[in-house]
Amino acid sequence: MILKKLILVIGLSILSFAADATVEIVKKIDVLPKIAVQDASASTVSPELRRAFAQLLIGDLRVSSHFRVDEEYLKSSYEGGPIENFLSDRKVDTILRFDLSQNLNNMTVKAKMINAKTGTTTVERSYALNDVKRHPFLAHKIVVDVNDQIGAPSIKWMEQSVVFAKYTDAKKSEIVVSDYTLSYQKTVVAGGLNIFPKWANDEQSAFYYTSYAGAEPTIYKYDLKDGSRRNIISSSGMIVCSDVSKDGRKLLLTMAPKDQTDIYMYDLITKKIQKITNYSGIDVNGNFIDDDKRIVFVSDRLGYANVFAQGINDSNVEQMVYHGKNNNSASALDNYIVYSSREDKSEFGRNTFNLYLISTKTDYIRQLTMSGENLYPRFAKDPDTIMFIKQYQNQSALGIVRLNANKTYHFTLKTGKLQSIDW
Amino acid sequence: MGKLALTSLAVAVLVLTGCSQKSPEVDMTKKDVTSSTKTDDGMSALQKLIASLEANSKKVYFDFDKYNIRKDQQANVDANAALFNSAEAKQFSIKVEGNCDEFGTDEYNYALGLKRAKSVKDGLVAKGMVADRVTVVSYGESNPTCNDKNKECWDKNRRAEFKVLP
Repeated sequence: MILKKLILVIGLSILSFAADATVEIVKKIDVLPKIAVQDASASTVSPELRRAFAQLLIGDLRVSSHFRVDEEYLKSSYEGGPIENFLSDRKVDTILRFDLSQNLNNMTVKAKMINAKTGTTTVERSYALNDVKRHPFLAHKIVVDVNDQIGAPSIKWMEQSVVFAKYTDAKKSEIVVSDYTLSYQKTVVAGGLNIFPKWANDEQSAFYYTSYAGAEPTIYKYDLKDGSRRNIISSSGMIVCSDVSKDGRKLLLTMAPKDQTDIYMYDLITKKIQKITNYSGIDVNGNFIDDDKRIVFVSDRLGYANVFAQGINDSNVEQMVYHGKNNNSASALDNYIVYSSREDKSEFGRNTFNLYLISTKTDYIRQLTMSGENLYPRFAKDPDTIMFIKQYQNQSALGIVRLNANKTYHFTLKTGKLQSIDW
Repeated sequence: MGKLALTSLAVAVLVLTGCSQKSPEVDMTKKDVTSSTKTDDGMSALQKLIASLEANSKKVYFDFDKYNIRKDQQANVDANAALFNSAEAKQFSIKVEGNCDEFGTDEYNYALGLKRAKSVKDGLVAKGMVADRVTVVSYGESNPTCNDKNKECWDKNRRAEFKVLP
């Protein structure tokens, strides 16, 4: 009886832990399946492209945190044989085999999963691409499908595009569209200071950004389909598009029409501007929450930067974070808020910024990073994955935190310093 | 001759089509065209006066994570007010640019830079400048004067500086 009760308590604990991302699961009981990747492409295809593609698949499988990955680059025929279909010496459970072919700018990939215990193909698919430079997205798509095949929690976020701004010199920055590993990069806005890009819609066909090219800082909308840009709104002092409503119609702006930063909501259809916060200090970084009825934002109204919330039509302000003395950047998704916190308020202290995760439903605080400068956290569309900026001495990287697996990955930017990211 | 003209036209069309098919990219500096009467050294008298006023203005420095005017910086604010209120400067508008050190790469840093610029504007207005002549803008951490990794360098970057606008 006591044993039964104990098992029940443990069972309930595991269930509640699984439901709260702020609680770190230290010990995993499940054994993850081991997977190997085999390249079955014809020898006429560029060896560099084949190897790079295999490495992308291996990297994605690792970041999914749902496999143990054999990291060796293996070759095979597409049909395989008694050795290739089992890989007995490598003790794998599953094989992902691909056959890549390229014709000018077109690329096709045949991919199949093989059960290495039985040597039989469990699923096979073909993929096509008309711009070979975008092949990292194809690799991500294949791994998303492989992951779905084993019934693991979705990693569809890998298919999302990232848009980021990077400083190239004083008062100069560029806006780049990339995949989450930075393997694909395309500069879309250059010349002068262009900052704070923010996707305009779920489709990721357009983004807003701030340009300093005119007399006043101005938000433009850039359309990726035709490369056009449209002037949206300007403000003296500063203007940033911090968030876009779910229906894409309303923007949360930080702007300072009277030299004073506050958060405003701008309706793109009626052109109506509504002032949401009203404080003589700093209010920035608005994020829609609760079905776009409330916002979380960063303010120095207690004498230091911290995270607060209030209704769109309600001026009552609620303090959301009771930890840290300099919480200067936040992002929200459902009931979760992730923020970066400077660990020492003194300029002589360590320049350490760590990321923390809280739930609005519980009192837990989970520390996500341990050292260095970890800034600008942004949720993926699922609450299990957070992207952030990691600054080193003279280099930047995109960081990915996988919450359930408690793992962090970094993808280094070769040139420039990351200013902001969205995905 | 007619054939030659036709061939040239065809080539031109091909080249243009080639350009329009290039990857879409916006260059925000392309529309920036400035023209004025230049002197031998490439600067007009107006540009020389503006450059001289900007060179004579004094930068205003700030404490870490603060936007109030430090006591030791008040004299610089006063000197700038006198400079910009001088007869030769009165025709110009003044843009105060607020800047931050490299720590924090977010909206908060841009807002901090703006508050610094606003503190300086308030200081200039308190010394007799007409508020409408002074605009403010923040460059956050995007405009460092010093790129070393030490306290002296970060001190230099936490500043407000001035642009004189015709």
